[in-house]
Amino acid sequence: MRAACINAYTLTCAAGVGMPAVNRSLKEARTGLSETPWPGCGVATWLGRVAALDDDERHVDERWGCRNNRLAQLGLEQDGFATRVREAVAHYGAGRCAVILGTSTSSIGRTEQAYSELQPDQRFSPEFRQPEVHNPHSVSGYVAEYLGITGPAMTLSTACSSSAKVFASAARWLACNVADAIVVGGVDSLCLSVIYGFHSLQLVSPNPCRPFDRDREGISLGEAAGFALVSRDPFGANSLALLGYGESTDAYHMSSAHPEGLGAQLAMQAAIKRSGLSFEGIDYLNLHGTGTRSNDGIEGRLCASLFPESTLLSATKGWTGHTLGAAGITEAVLSINALATGFVPGTLNTRSPDPACEAPILLDGVEAPIDTAMSNSFGFGGNNCSLIFGRA
Amino acid sequence: MKLCITGVGLWARGLSGWNEFLARSPNDFAGIDAAFSPPSPEAIPARERRRAPLSVRLAVEVAHQSCRMAGVDKALVASVFTSAMGDTDITDYLCRELAGPTKMLSPTKFHNSVHNAPSGYWSISAGNRSPSSYAGDFHATVPVALLEAATLCTTEDRPVLLVAYDIANAPPFADICPIRESFAVAFVLARSAPRTGWRIDVAVVDGPADWPQAHSPYLRALAASNPAAYCLPLLEALAAERPAELHWPLSRWCHLAMSLKPSDSVTRDARQA
Repeated sequence: MRAACINAYTLTCAAGVGMPAVNRSLKEARTGLSETPWPGCGVATWLGRVAALDDDERHVDERWGCRNNRLAQLGLEQDGFATRVREAVAHYGAGRCAVILGTSTSSIGRTEQAYSELQPDQRFSPEFRQPEVHNPHSVSGYVAEYLGITGPAMTLSTACSSSAKVFASAARWLACNVADAIVVGGVDSLCLSVIYGFHSLQLVSPNPCRPFDRDREGISLGEAAGFALVSRDPFGANSLALLGYGESTDAYHMSSAHPEGLGAQLAMQAAIKRSGLSFEGIDYLNLHGTGTRSNDGIEGRLCASLFPESTLLSATKGWTGHTLGAAGITEAVLSINALATGFVPGTLNTRSPDPACEAPILLDGVEAPIDTAMSNSFGFGGNNCSLIFGRA
Repeated sequence: MKLCITGVGLWARGLSGWNEFLARSPNDFAGIDAAFSPPSPEAIPARERRRAPLSVRLAVEVAHQSCRMAGVDKALVASVFTSAMGDTDITDYLCRELAGPTKMLSPTKFHNSVHNAPSGYWSISAGNRSPSSYAGDFHATVPVALLEAATLCTTEDRPVLLVAYDIANAPPFADICPIRESFAVAFVLARSAPRTGWRIDVAVVDGPADWPQAHSPYLRALAASNPAAYCLPLLEALAAERPAELHWPLSRWCHLAMSLKPSDSVTRDARQA
C-alpha cells in the first residue's frame, strides 16, 4: 500500500495529559492506575482515570455535553494538535478534511446518568434531552464541529479494535480521494456499564493489571483520548507514516478469542503483506496484552511463533489500563511515539513472565532506535486489527 | 467510485425479502397490513440464536439474503454494519440495571452490547474471517456506511456486504430519535458484476442535501419511521430498472451523490430466482 503520512499525534490517558507527561510516566515506570473508586461503583478494582478531567473547566456546548466529549476536547488541545489540524483545514479546505474516530462506550456514561433521573413518564429530564449525545456516533460529530471540519465524519465501533481500524479506513479514504487530510483517533470514557459489564464476565482484576505475568488476574479499565492527523502527502516536516494495516474477524465466539489466535494471525499477516515488510522487519510490537489469563496466553504463544527474537515485545496497559474503544489509538500513538523518541516502553507491573505465554516479554523500557513498530488490537465479536508504523 | 450492487436483502413489516419488495413494486405496498414479525435466521447456530437479540437477527437475516442473491462466497465477503442508535433494548437494560440498587449485569447481554455484535454473529454464522466493521454517523449513518463500504470495495477489490438496521424504540430513546418500526436492509457491492448487478457511481460532494422521498406513500411512511429505511428510494429505483440520481446527506455541509444505472439482466434474474 501507499504509506499514509502521520503529521501530528497526541494522547491523553491516565498516564498523562499530552505527550510530555505520558513520556515522563513511561520513562519513570509510573502507572496511571489508581485504586480510587468510581462514583457509585462498588467493584473493587484499579482504574486508569483521566483525573485532570474532573476539575477541568473547559466548555463543551450543552448539545454535546458529556464526559466523553469533554475528554475528546481535552485531548485535542494537547501537544498543539488542534492548532495543527486547523492549519491543515486552512491548507486543504474544510470540505477536504474528514474525521474517523473509534469508540466503544461513546457517551453511554451520560445515558446512565440520565436513567438515574428518569421521569415517571419514562422520559429523560429536560437537561438530558440531547439527541447528539445519546447515540453511538456522538464523538465524531462533536470533534468535526469543534475542529471546523466539514467533510464526512464517521464513527467506528468494533469494541476494543475500534480506534485501530480508524487507520485502515483512513488509508482507504485517502486512496479513494475522499479527503486530503483525516483526523483519526478514539475516545472512550469510564462508566458503570464497562466496569460492571467486565465484572459480570469475571475479567476485572482486583489489582493493577499485569499483562503476561504468571499471576495476572484480569484487566484494569481505563479511559483515553488519542488522535493522529494523517494525509496522503506530507504536511510539514514529519517523516512518520502508516506502512500497513490488517483486519480480520475470528468467526469463533462473541467474547472469547479463537484458541489458536487464528483471526489475530490473519490480521498481523495482512498488515505485514501490505507493508511489504516481513515479521523479521518489525523492530517493536505493542501487544494487545490485556492481562486476562486466556487472551495473553493466546497472543503470547502466537507472537512467539511469528516474530524473531530481535523484535521487542511489550504491553503498555499497566500504565493506561484497558481503554477499550480508545485502546487502538492509545497503543498506536505509543508505537508511533517509540519511533519518534527512540524509547521503547516495557511491560509495567509485570515481574514474572508466564512461561505458558512463551513470548519473551520486555519488562523494562529500553533506549532503542527503532524504524518499524506494530500494534495489535483485538476486540469482542472476534474483531482484530494490526497496524504497522515506520518512516515515510 | 464506480461499483455494482449485486445483491439486496430486506426485512420490514410485511416484507421479508427483496422478491416480496419487487412483487409489490411500484404500487402494491398499500395492501400490507401484517404486524412486524422478527426473523429467525437459520444461519445462526441454535446455541447462538437463543442469545441473539432482535438487532442481530435482523442484520444477519438480511446479510445472508443479499449474499445469496449476489451469489458471492459468504465466507469471503468483507462487511460494514451500521445503525443510527445501536441496540437500544440492550442500552435500556444496562442503564436501568445500573440505575437500580443491585447493578448485576447479564454477561451475555453485556457482550451483546458492543455495537459490532451483529458483525460478530454474522462472521460466526457465515464462517467468515474477513474484515468487518460497524461504522456510521447518527442520521447520516447509511450514507457514511455506504462510503466506507465503497472505499473498502474499491481499494481491496473484493465484494463488500453493507448492512443497515435499527430497531423500534420507546421512551426515553423515542425522544432522542423516534423509531416506530424495526427495519433492516443489506446490499452487496462489487467492482464488477459477472452475472447480475446495477451500476452505481458514488462520490462525496460539497453542499447540503435533503433525503429523497419515496414515491409510494407506504414506503414514504416506512422511511420516515427508521433511519436505516431512509434509503428506501434507492430500493424503489433498483426495482424500477431506470437510471436514477440520488443525493443522501452526509452532514450539514456535504452529501453522497449516487448515479444509478440498471443492468438489463439484473432484476429479471432476481425475479426468476
